[in-house]
Amino acid sequence: MELIERYLQAVGFWLPARQKQDILAELSEDIRSQIDDKESELGRTVTDTDVEEVLKQRGSPVMVANRYQPQRSLIGPVLYPIYRLVLKMAFLFYFLPWVVILTCLSVFMPSYRVHAFDSLWMVIFNIFTFVTLTFALLEKYSLKSGFLEKWNPRKLPPLRANRIKRSSSITEIVALVIASAWWLIFMSSPVIINRPELRIVLAPAWSTYFWSVFILMLVTCAVSVANLFRPYWTVFRAYVRLLTDCVGWGLFAWLCKMDIIAEITVRNVPAEHTMRIAGYINLWMGRSVPIIIAMGALIALFDVYRIVRIKNPDVPVLGVLTRC
Amino acid sequence: MKNSTKTEENGAIYENLRLELRRGCLIVAVLAQLKTERYGYTLRKALADDGLEIDESTLYPLLRRLETQGLLVSEWREEEKRNKRFYKLSPDGKRILKQLLEEWRGINASLEQILHEE
Repeated sequence: MELIERYLQAVGFWLPARQKQDILAELSEDIRSQIDDKESELGRTVTDTDVEEVLKQRGSPVMVANRYQPQRSLIGPVLYPIYRLVLKMAFLFYFLPWVVILTCLSVFMPSYRVHAFDSLWMVIFNIFTFVTLTFALLEKYSLKSGFLEKWNPRKLPPLRANRIKRSSSITEIVALVIASAWWLIFMSSPVIINRPELRIVLAPAWSTYFWSVFILMLVTCAVSVANLFRPYWTVFRAYVRLLTDCVGWGLFAWLCKMDIIAEITVRNVPAEHTMRIAGYINLWMGRSVPIIIAMGALIALFDVYRIVRIKNPDVPVLGVLTRC
Repeated sequence: MKNSTKTEENGAIYENLRLELRRGCLIVAVLAQLKTERYGYTLRKALADDGLEIDESTLYPLLRRLETQGLLVSEWREEEKRNKRFYKLSPDGKRILKQLLEEWRGINASLEQILHEE
């Protein structure tokens, strides 16, 4: 019967001190009653093997002890969906900006690359800890106040029209992240190509264009991430898209007017020829400005139509635009 | 391979639903059995004899919970030279059992009607 005592001791290890003796006494009595029954059934005293069988059938000590504990969780099922949403938002509006900042620092300050990953881990750890602790405290102290029951049906968000396909948002995000990385790594210097056989240098205006486009990419990426988690257009996001499209095409038109090719050097080609080529490129870029403005205007019109439709759902749907 | 995974999934779903269905019924059965005073082991045997097997690691925590809620009262007493804890329905327990049985009969009647309509 030593096995029973050892089993009870093991169960007792996992029990709360306050109830331990009471639970163990009852459990002990139940096991002994079962053993008595088994002895009557077998017509002999039980062996250690029989006791082992009885105990195994009852389950492991930790499992048995756990059944006596109330179900506990740091964040319960009521708050859990809100917790997940807040965690996602925190990653979107806190973690992603940090990723961008650290990427920039790593690109322009190579000595910082080693620390960038440490900082990133700290950012993730801080977000997770802060949000989880906040919700654990809410669960413990505020849920009982019934604050979730104080709601007004009239304040519910409007019906979600103008849905955005999640696959479109994901494609946009992936494309923008790759494009931003490429832009940062390969296009930051005005010396766009610097090989022995070919060298192309851009005008100083390039620096302004470079940073403006990079900021535009970040804003567009933020809108795409917001679209991914909230897959329907809001007036604010539609205005941001209109603004980024207008600024983007405007900047491109401005760049074309700026005689952006400052110098082209090709091995074994006389300088006056390459200067003439650079002049032609600048000239045709300047002449293409009306086309660029027209294309930008067309896209801006699409964006305006989207805003009108969000504000007034009765406006007829144009097939192409609904997919934008 | 795919079929066996599907069968396993269905088995797990069935098991979960079966446990959910049993959980409420077991409470009613335990309360009903404790109209007569019993200790844990005999209660378990009585339930098993009536076709409701319940393992001890489910029964004892349930008894404690029902006692904490005031539906059962218990006392330690010596019987056959061993200390045993005897449970029985409290007055509140009797009242709630009556309400639960009415609810259960209502659900049962509705279910019967739904099943006959099919």
